[in-house]
Amino acid sequence: MDLPLISVSFLAFALTLYVILDGFDLGIGILLLFQPAPMSRDHMIDSITPTWDGNETWIIMAGVTLLAAFPVAYSILLPAFYLPVILMLLGLGFRGVSFEFRVQSRQHRHRWDVAFAVGSLVAAFMQGLVLGSLMQGVKVQNQHFSGSLLDVVHPLPIITGLALPFGYAVLGGGWLKLKSGLRLQAFANRSIRVSAALFAILFALACLYAAKIQPGLRSKWTSHGIALACLAGLFAIASGLLTTLPKKTVPVVPFLLGLFLLLVGISGLALSTFPDIVPFSVTLWEAASSATSQTFVLVGAAFVTPIILTYSAFAYWIFRGKTPDKGWEDDN
Amino acid sequence: MKLDPSIVARIQFAFTVSFHIIFPTMSIGLASFLAVIEALWLKTKKPIYLEIYKFWLSIFSMGFGIGVVTGIVLSFEFGLGFSRFAQMAGPAIGPLIALEVLTAFFLEAGFLGIMLFGLNRVGPKLHFFATCMVAIGTLLSASWILSANSWMQTPAGVAIQGGHLTVVSWRHVLVNPSWLYRLPHMVTAAYLTASFMVAGVGAWYLLRGKHQHFARRTLALGTAFATVLIAAQVFIGDILYGTMLKHQPSKMQAAEGFWEKQSQSPAPYLWFIVPDQNNQRNRFQLGTPYLGSIWLTHSLDGRVEGLKNTPRDLQPRMGMVFYAFRIMYCSAMVMFAVGVASLWLRFRGTLFSSRWFLWILVFMTPSGIVATLAGWYVAETGRQPWVIYGILKTADAISPVPAPALWSTLVAFVCVYAVFITAFLIFTLRIIRRGPSEVHSYAEASGSLKNAFRPYVLDSPGRLLTTNITQRS
Repeated sequence: MDLPLISVSFLAFALTLYVILDGFDLGIGILLLFQPAPMSRDHMIDSITPTWDGNETWIIMAGVTLLAAFPVAYSILLPAFYLPVILMLLGLGFRGVSFEFRVQSRQHRHRWDVAFAVGSLVAAFMQGLVLGSLMQGVKVQNQHFSGSLLDVVHPLPIITGLALPFGYAVLGGGWLKLKSGLRLQAFANRSIRVSAALFAILFALACLYAAKIQPGLRSKWTSHGIALACLAGLFAIASGLLTTLPKKTVPVVPFLLGLFLLLVGISGLALSTFPDIVPFSVTLWEAASSATSQTFVLVGAAFVTPIILTYSAFAYWIFRGKTPDKGWEDDN
Repeated sequence: MKLDPSIVARIQFAFTVSFHIIFPTMSIGLASFLAVIEALWLKTKKPIYLEIYKFWLSIFSMGFGIGVVTGIVLSFEFGLGFSRFAQMAGPAIGPLIALEVLTAFFLEAGFLGIMLFGLNRVGPKLHFFATCMVAIGTLLSASWILSANSWMQTPAGVAIQGGHLTVVSWRHVLVNPSWLYRLPHMVTAAYLTASFMVAGVGAWYLLRGKHQHFARRTLALGTAFATVLIAAQVFIGDILYGTMLKHQPSKMQAAEGFWEKQSQSPAPYLWFIVPDQNNQRNRFQLGTPYLGSIWLTHSLDGRVEGLKNTPRDLQPRMGMVFYAFRIMYCSAMVMFAVGVASLWLRFRGTLFSSRWFLWILVFMTPSGIVATLAGWYVAETGRQPWVIYGILKTADAISPVPAPALWSTLVAFVCVYAVFITAFLIFTLRIIRRGPSEVHSYAEASGSLKNAFRPYVLDSPGRLLTTNITQRS
């Protein structure tokens, strides 16, 4: 059995869940920047408060799976992305504590809202920066990172860094449309339309630029030409539909379309780098830990993941329906 | 100032992990405390327990939030600052932490929302279940991470070939020689921390003559837990001391402050030293005669081993280990004295009226955190220069990241964490000053799983209204 292949599938599963689940949480945070009304901001944050922690946990799952199953990749990628990862962690930190602190602070709540929004934006931008840096390739020598910490400050990572927050904003807008009452529907529609257009343009630009500068990517694209063309087509259709979203649609549709859009994007990127785990330098088999370590994680994951998905779904289900206007706190 | 990356990376890790551990210590203790309180509420149906629950829940949730966001940092920091360590130890500790995420983090996160906001949606019984799941999550998390850390202290179950580490026995990695003692030591420390916090706040209200009912109940519970726990902790600590003396003699040699291979007989117990690591001696030392022999060798004239038994290049810095150990040890002794005093006052019936004792309890509110931090400093500075004891040195474990980058991110961490702790303290003190609020609705402990499956019934305003009316009548 090809253990590293199964491990990398679990890693991709965790990372995908992170992107779509924390994606809409971060999207809500980013959209706060464009929502001046305090009551609406309360409502937006209330819509994600009961479940955000579980969503964020998937990034830890992905990071730790990388450590356990691909320690070589973990120890190359983290020093390589030292600056964006630390800034992302600080952004996620501000976002996370603001959930608690903004409720405690009535007088300075708007400041914590700013911390929430800027934290979300910084985290999303840094994740985009890491994505672009992966697409441009990582310099490796003798199983250690040999590039400069400032390799992330290049046009490609900056374009993807700008793109990803819009991608998350599409999800956030979709979630908002699903969970909010009448008052925020127009705001959600506008957010989805604008973000989807900008995300699609920036993402397409990033792909074109990446093909220009990274020969590894070009060769992968020519070998998977048909599959990638299909994905690109689906991406264009989904983003087109979102950009021209009619005012009266079923509330769940834009959210599902947004998820679809991100999933297509992730599949395309996965196809373009597979089987490298450090793009264009180290394959997943070269980076894998021994079979005993892989087995330990995979057996644990096989047993526990279904249970996690069950009770996480249960938590979502408990807090289903429209978010109450006065928030969950007064619900008690 | 010379910028040595290995030193800066260590300072950064030490700072972020020290800051982080404060919050899980509180969360582990408070989660179990909240589970006990909710169980009492369900059993007795007295609204006072719901009042206690809601009060401590608001402090718990803030602390938990900071614990989560500062914890994520650590799961990446192994690679950010110590990539060579991650590459080597990943196959052994990676799976342990992966299982921690799978079995503990998700459990906590999945049920935290219900615990914080779900009482009316799911009803008390299922809500109690959620509280228990969060509490169990904190304990599972402690088990896995203590296992990983203990493996670094007393590695076992692995084979090393050409710098690569392969696990040969998961049982030995998991149940390594120190885990069985260090886990109960840490969990008891967390429980003590919560007990002293709860008792301290109760004592403060009694001194101010406010919230008498709440204060008496929490003070009685807090001191009762603390008394039992500190007795257990002294016992566990003593066993752990013996274990570490066997596996990491250099740590305990440094902790006692003696340099010579054998100390004089009878040995004093040292309280204050000015160590001179370069010349392998103390410039100044102050101790109680005979006490060292009695406590450490359980005889009147026993000799204590000094740090010179360890080769110089494998010695930890004595000052750090010695003083961290003294702070932990002295905190434990004071806690023990407070526990004994509380028993005596309880027996005399003056537990709630002895002002001097209440003031001591107020002063002791953060004592658990101080002792726990000091204990971790003993554990982590005492095993230097090793990061995986006997296998990998800390200086060989660091990432290829230049010192200026490490410095600037360290400064960023310090600034951001300063904001976090300031806000946490301000809001916690504000919650304490405001005091527990009276519980109006939903004071009767009923409800069942059925409610969870039709939360809209619970949502309807009519339902809340009737609850309020029945409550008042």
